[in-house]
Amino acid sequence: MTVFALIPLLPLLGFFVIAFGGNRLGEVSHRIGIPAVGLSAALSFVAFYYVAVAGPISIPLYTLIDVGAVSVAVDLYIDQLTVLLLLLVTVGSFVVHVYSSSYMIGDPRYRRFFAVIGLFTFAMVLLVMSNNLLVTYMCWEVMGICSYLLISHWAHRESAAKAATKAFLVNAVADVGLGFGVIFTLATYGTLNIQEILAAVPSMAGSDINLLGWLGFEWLIERNTLITFCLLSGALGKSAQFPLHIWLPFAMEAPTPISALIHAATMVNAGPFLLARMSPLVLSAPSAMAVIAIVGMTTAVYGGLVALTQSDIKKSLAYSTISHIGFMIFACGVGAFVAAIFHLLAHGFLKGFLFLSTGNALESASAHGHAKSSGRVSGSLAAGALLLALIPAVVIFSGPYEQMWTAHQTPAAQVAFFFLALATVFLTGMYIFRAVSSLFGHQVGNSGVLPNLFAPAYLAGVGVLVAAVGCLLVFVWTWFAAFLGPALGAQPPLAAGPAFSPWLVAALLAAVAGWGFARQFQPSPTFAGAWTKMAYVALLNRLYVDEIFDAFVVGPFIRFCDWLQGTIETLGLDNLIQTTARVVMVLSNWLWTVLEVRGLDRGLGGGADSSVALSRWLWRVVDLRGDAMVEGLGRASDENGEMLQRIEPRTLQHHLLVVVFWLMLAIALSYWLIL
Amino acid sequence: MSTILADHLISCLIAVPFLGIALLVLAKSDEWARRIALLATFAALGVAITALLSFDPGQSGMQFVERAEWMPTFNIQYAVGLDGISMLLVLLTALLSPICVLASWKSIDSKVKAYMALILLVEGAMIVVFTALDLFLFFMLWEVTMIPMYFMIVIWGGPGRIAAGIKFVLYSLTGSLLLLVGILGLYLEGGRTFDILALSGQTFSDDVQFWIFLALLLGFGIKLPMIPFHSWLPDAHSEAPTAGSVILAGVLLKLGGYGFLRICLPILPDASVVFAPLMVWLSVGAILYGACLALAQTDLKRLVAYSSISHMGFVTLGIFAFNEQGVQGAILQMFNHGITTAALFLAVGQLYDRTHSRSVDDYGGLHKQMPRFAVALSFFSVASFGLPGTANFIGEFLVLVGASYTSFARVLLAMLGIVLAAAYMLWMLQRVVLGKALTRAAAALPDLSTREMATLVPLAIIIFVVGVYPGLLMELMDASVINLVEQARVGLPADMAALD
Repeated sequence: MTVFALIPLLPLLGFFVIAFGGNRLGEVSHRIGIPAVGLSAALSFVAFYYVAVAGPISIPLYTLIDVGAVSVAVDLYIDQLTVLLLLLVTVGSFVVHVYSSSYMIGDPRYRRFFAVIGLFTFAMVLLVMSNNLLVTYMCWEVMGICSYLLISHWAHRESAAKAATKAFLVNAVADVGLGFGVIFTLATYGTLNIQEILAAVPSMAGSDINLLGWLGFEWLIERNTLITFCLLSGALGKSAQFPLHIWLPFAMEAPTPISALIHAATMVNAGPFLLARMSPLVLSAPSAMAVIAIVGMTTAVYGGLVALTQSDIKKSLAYSTISHIGFMIFACGVGAFVAAIFHLLAHGFLKGFLFLSTGNALESASAHGHAKSSGRVSGSLAAGALLLALIPAVVIFSGPYEQMWTAHQTPAAQVAFFFLALATVFLTGMYIFRAVSSLFGHQVGNSGVLPNLFAPAYLAGVGVLVAAVGCLLVFVWTWFAAFLGPALGAQPPLAAGPAFSPWLVAALLAAVAGWGFARQFQPSPTFAGAWTKMAYVALLNRLYVDEIFDAFVVGPFIRFCDWLQGTIETLGLDNLIQTTARVVMVLSNWLWTVLEVRGLDRGLGGGADSSVALSRWLWRVVDLRGDAMVEGLGRASDENGEMLQRIEPRTLQHHLLVVVFWLMLAIALSYWLIL
Repeated sequence: MSTILADHLISCLIAVPFLGIALLVLAKSDEWARRIALLATFAALGVAITALLSFDPGQSGMQFVERAEWMPTFNIQYAVGLDGISMLLVLLTALLSPICVLASWKSIDSKVKAYMALILLVEGAMIVVFTALDLFLFFMLWEVTMIPMYFMIVIWGGPGRIAAGIKFVLYSLTGSLLLLVGILGLYLEGGRTFDILALSGQTFSDDVQFWIFLALLLGFGIKLPMIPFHSWLPDAHSEAPTAGSVILAGVLLKLGGYGFLRICLPILPDASVVFAPLMVWLSVGAILYGACLALAQTDLKRLVAYSSISHMGFVTLGIFAFNEQGVQGAILQMFNHGITTAALFLAVGQLYDRTHSRSVDDYGGLHKQMPRFAVALSFFSVASFGLPGTANFIGEFLVLVGASYTSFARVLLAMLGIVLAAAYMLWMLQRVVLGKALTRAAAALPDLSTREMATLVPLAIIIFVVGVYPGLLMELMDASVINLVEQARVGLPADMAALD
């Protein structure tokens, strides 16, 4: 069992070997990275089998922190949710490793690239396997720095440097919430062990905390709700939710394989994963769930709309990613965790694939093209499109998909399911009509590549294919809901409903409506009116969210810091000190003038004069008496006196004064001490 | 010989740097002066490691205690000893000193002998302060640490060195004067003894505690530095030579935190509790204020200096949480800050040696010319804002956990300081390491030499190893901290003392 600890450790080992292996590794770095990640992917499959057969596994590693009542252990916990994510991460990383080993050839920072994706893989794997909230948070941050390092891979580009800083900082702001959540969870539950916390969730229901207590007000909020908000805050950053999504489009400065791995398939999915991991806690906080759902929905709509208008294909894909993650967050918000994880996996693999397939070629290509329409569509094609459009309705409402949404039996999930399903069916109807008409409705043009695709026979083929995929999905969904459900604490599946329900009829009608709508209103490349143009321009500029942040948050804050530096620190504090010093100087000068020059100077000067006079008088006496000994004494003291005068009196007197002062102080001090 | 070492371990540790100074007198050339200094600092490190190996982490009291009468009239002793807390700081001092010598190997080329002697003097004095069990000894050597720093700044410093040196001395003197007042107060009120352990056992009246704490607060607060007494630090740091900055940031600032831990908390527990709200808000203020100012700097050394103010805020925040998590976090934070900031100053110094510029705007694109340097600077920068996987994260986390027992608002504010730390560090990296070289000089810089790498790599290893296995250091101080917290908790009101 312990062997599964190698799943995170192998990529870590790879990272160390590549990072410290020296320059001779150079362009063969992938020979270390690929086997390491490949092996860990293989182990993930084994773990998947193990968990499917025998249930969750827990592997204790070591104790990170043990101070008083606070103990943080690095434990691995592998359950159904973990293995599914493990497969996504390790397989995704493996594919990206292989892809990059040729994509990055010739890059001067080849070795660095492989080292960092190794480290990233380790962090993400440990994140999904961790059974401790603090370890989760640590991995969360390490992933962030890996993302930073990879966005700034082509560091000579100014835009890449800026994008990297922006990405990390936006995440750092969001992570304050998550980090606070970790500390608050510790304070609430007394432990950071995820399974223990989840088991204790019901016991904390109804326990409140006063948010404004430190200001003397009262604003009570349930502890579980606050923790859920903190988790959401983390998800806002890492999973690029509105309004903190601003870093993700810029993160496309990273090499394309990184966009595929980190910024589409794995790291950005950490938010929904965390919410799903903590699902019992989230479910105990209905008001937070409402906010999560609203955030997710807003992001999904915003991302989708902006994605349509972007002209850079990688940015367009980024906004589409934002939109999809928004959808997952929304699903979490209504309590449909199983559906969210399914969407996460499907989106992860597909978006990763999309990015990789864009590769070099589409780097600068424009995706800014509208579907070309050729006017009227022939009747048979239209009928074919209608048939195709009906298939999704049947598939979605066949039961398993609904079951994924309603596994937790939250009322919101029911409503959301019906609403979204009908909308999906309607939109699919539209899209299918447009797809069919643009693919098959063309006259044979100058394209010689697709000569035979216009026959209705192919349409039939496509229909069969879609139906087959639909059947497969129904099968997968059934299995998925049954497999993942227990890990997320879902209810046992509902009894199978009647095959024919009014909802199915409604869905079929919606599909027809979509099809009809598309047939009636074929899109035109020109703007119909002023407001659509305005909307288009606004969306093209991403609703100015970046500009708003720059103008109202970043700019003012930097100006505030400069003001602190210029006004408070330099003019205020420094000036205060310097003024004090100046005042002391003036005071000392005054003291010197008054005391020394006027008072002591004269006194001492007088003293010296009189000592000279004394010597002279002595000399006269000696001269009279002729006493050699006294004469000598007199001379010596004369010399002393003259020397005294010769030395600049101020310096000497100054020293004397200081000595006298210290003597007095010392005497006073010793009196005080001894008595 | 071995018994002398065993019986007088701390005295040997103290003696080594001073013997080094004596040897330096004999040095014929600058080259020999450097070698002797390096040898002496390594010897001290060796003795420190010996002490570490024979240190018993399970014991909470002082170990290797040595006592001798010094001035019996005033009951002054030469008394030294080590517990878990001082062990860590002594290790830090012994570790950074050889690095200081190495860092000034080439960059100091005038009066080398004197410079090396000053490094050794400051090392010896610091070790005494960290091991002293007698307040008089503590105070005397506390004063001694200031003198070499002053000379380092005014003789080998940058263009504004005179003003910076005077500012440093004036602030330090004011601080030590108040410290002296506090210590004399303790002496007089505590029955004419300077013995720290004896004083810890006594209870003083609330009034006495209040005034003595106030004096000590200013003494330690200026050294730490806490706002608003910090304004000497950026000047001193930016004008000091590299080794000076390293010693200043690495060890000297820790004197303040150590003073709070060794004197204020155990001897004046009631006053500590009274002052705790003020201290905590000053800490949070320092965290945010330092970070904001760091964001406004374009001088690399000043940036690191302001980040120091911000990080030392965590130290006081943890200390005045009065619980094990907070205090352990604070000590760990002192250790980590010592290493990280020292490393950052080393790195900035290495740049300065090459171009003689400390301005952010003169660099850019260093990832290309100096890849090793870029990696090192990036590593220590991210360590500085507490990226998980570095020791700083563990320290900050523990401090925040400790602080969370009393107030979540402060925790949240302190965490904002971490975000700001990420902001100024990454912004600095963006302008210095990433992008394109802005000047021709910056485009042709040689990468780090082996000697320069040798100063940075050990620090990086320590930061990383402690970051993933903090138990290494925390087990050392666990027992001592439990003991200290018990002493400090005497002052806590009953309802707060129940929290754990």
